[in-house]
Amino acid sequence: MSDTGIVIDGVTKRFGSFTAVDNLNITFADGETACLLGPSGCGKTTLMRMIAGLETPTEGRIIIDGRDVTDLRPRRRNIGMVFQYPVMYQTLSVRENIALPLKRDRNLSASDRTKRVDEVLEVIDLVDRADTYIDELDAGSRQKVAVGRSVARQTKVVLFDEPTTNVEVNAKLTLIRTFKEISRRLKQTAIYVTHDQTEAMTLADRIALMKDGSIIQYDGPTALYQKPASEFGGWFLGNPGMNFIPAERTAAGLASPLLSSPLAAPDALGSGTVRLGIRPEQLDARAEPFEGSVEAKVEDCIVGIAGQLLARLSVAGETVKLKTGALPSMRAQDTIHIGFPADELLVFEDGVRVP
Amino acid sequence: MAQPSSLLNDRRTLVFVLLAPVLAFFIVFNTIPTLWLLGLSFYNYSLTSGMPPEFVGFTNFVNIFFNRNGIWSDLSRTFIFVACAVSLQTLLGLMLGFLFWGSRNMPGRRIALTLLFTPMVLTPVATGTFWRFIYDPTFGALNALMGLFGATEPINFLGDPTFAYWAVLAVDCWMWTPFMTLMTLAALGSVPKAELEAAEVDRLTWFEQLRLIVWHHGKFILMLGMLLRTIDSFKTLDLIIPMTNGGPGQQTRLVAVELNKQAFQSFNMGWSSAYAVLLLLISIAMTSVFIHVLNLRRRRERS
Repeated sequence: MSDTGIVIDGVTKRFGSFTAVDNLNITFADGETACLLGPSGCGKTTLMRMIAGLETPTEGRIIIDGRDVTDLRPRRRNIGMVFQYPVMYQTLSVRENIALPLKRDRNLSASDRTKRVDEVLEVIDLVDRADTYIDELDAGSRQKVAVGRSVARQTKVVLFDEPTTNVEVNAKLTLIRTFKEISRRLKQTAIYVTHDQTEAMTLADRIALMKDGSIIQYDGPTALYQKPASEFGGWFLGNPGMNFIPAERTAAGLASPLLSSPLAAPDALGSGTVRLGIRPEQLDARAEPFEGSVEAKVEDCIVGIAGQLLARLSVAGETVKLKTGALPSMRAQDTIHIGFPADELLVFEDGVRVP
Repeated sequence: MAQPSSLLNDRRTLVFVLLAPVLAFFIVFNTIPTLWLLGLSFYNYSLTSGMPPEFVGFTNFVNIFFNRNGIWSDLSRTFIFVACAVSLQTLLGLMLGFLFWGSRNMPGRRIALTLLFTPMVLTPVATGTFWRFIYDPTFGALNALMGLFGATEPINFLGDPTFAYWAVLAVDCWMWTPFMTLMTLAALGSVPKAELEAAEVDRLTWFEQLRLIVWHHGKFILMLGMLLRTIDSFKTLDLIIPMTNGGPGQQTRLVAVELNKQAFQSFNMGWSSAYAVLLLLISIAMTSVFIHVLNLRRRRERS
């Protein structure tokens, strides 16, 4: 077990009969920005609150930089935290807010303290509003102040609990830019809880995908997107999520009515139910038949962002989602031709990807 | 938007129609009686004499002001009562409120809370009556209890001029501390949990948490509770009547007791109306001060 970073060692948290976090093991490396991503109720916030010390694990240990902090109060853990609601001490100005947590650090001189607050103000881009009070700030700026306050102490660990949920879209983007800037500058270990995959993809060095109190996969954003370890990962990430089509074992490989030729079966394949996964944007869609294509009927079709079309196709009795920019004139009830590129197809057995 | 003027007219009519029932109620049951009271205060009018009301100008007010042992001693007694009652109840209420706030996971908390709130929902007359029995020198529970701890002489709490006032005050506190506990709990309930958690992560001392978070969010409700208690204890009557009825001597004669006696026992309606007008003015003044203080704080925050 490593001496640095955050080690979650067999942690379980139950609320009554409900298990929020189930015997979880993970190590967040030092200086890394990790996102906890998952649907509501998957235990991501509970996990973060346990790292912060706002909840006590029912079982297991939490170790930060080699120190067992499981039973320590939040104030003894050397952490900073940003909450879902922009928390500001409302009778204090922006500057006083950021300076407040520094007051406990005896070894900081007054000038050091001022310097540090100034630095933070610059990073969060609120220098000119340092002396304003909370009621004059919008939610986005308030959250920036909250971020500033939690990073000013330069703690080993900063925790973000869905900090952009209550912020409107434009402010969200500047906030995310601020987060990136801060994590780049301060090299703190950051854990960021979100249910927004775009946010996770933009911010994280690594994403921990969570479901039902367990971590499904902990990997870099690209790997997580392109090689999901489970069907859940493929379905949850991406907009729309991955297509899954049933396949059968034949002598020639994995066959499906949707494939013109069978796919070579991976060596590690067992005897479970096999499904093939492919992302909607990786389908090859054209108006005319081509080598290896199958016929598909457009069920409905909506315009996606930036000229991309989202369509629901019916192919040999299966429904397949398609995202493409190649067929701008596609309409519902049209017949088009799609191909499944063999090297993009992922093989899942009983919901788990077979490499 | 085609015809803004007719729309405006419609809206005005609508507003008036919607407001009319409340306005009618307010005028019939509030404004008219108050004006009636004000008018009556300039008349000499006794229900027992059988004489028609006689206009006497400010005579009633002059009589009230210059009567020895009259309004001035009653008022000072009442103000001390209000000040002691409100501050004690606020203090005790705060302590109990924080106690219950901090013991959210204690077993039996709900039952304890329910028991705590019982005094508040009792009828003051009933409370006064059974406290008179508790205080009774011959068969009262309190004297019996003190006897167990070695007191030799029973104390006549409500009959002794040294004790009567404070004994009544104690019952008022017993009865209304739960209200301030409730207000404290409401005030504490309005404090966002996330801010307290943030304060814990930010290593704020408990005093800083109290000053920056709890007070900031809770003060309005707490001040409102104090305002309500101030106005209410200024009018204390039903608790005192069964206990001492103003006695011994005039030791527990608060303004409301005196007013009740003059109006509904001596039937001096003119004099009582003048007295009531004065009390109304004092109530309005006290309320204005409170509201001013509340607004002042908010204004200061904004600037």
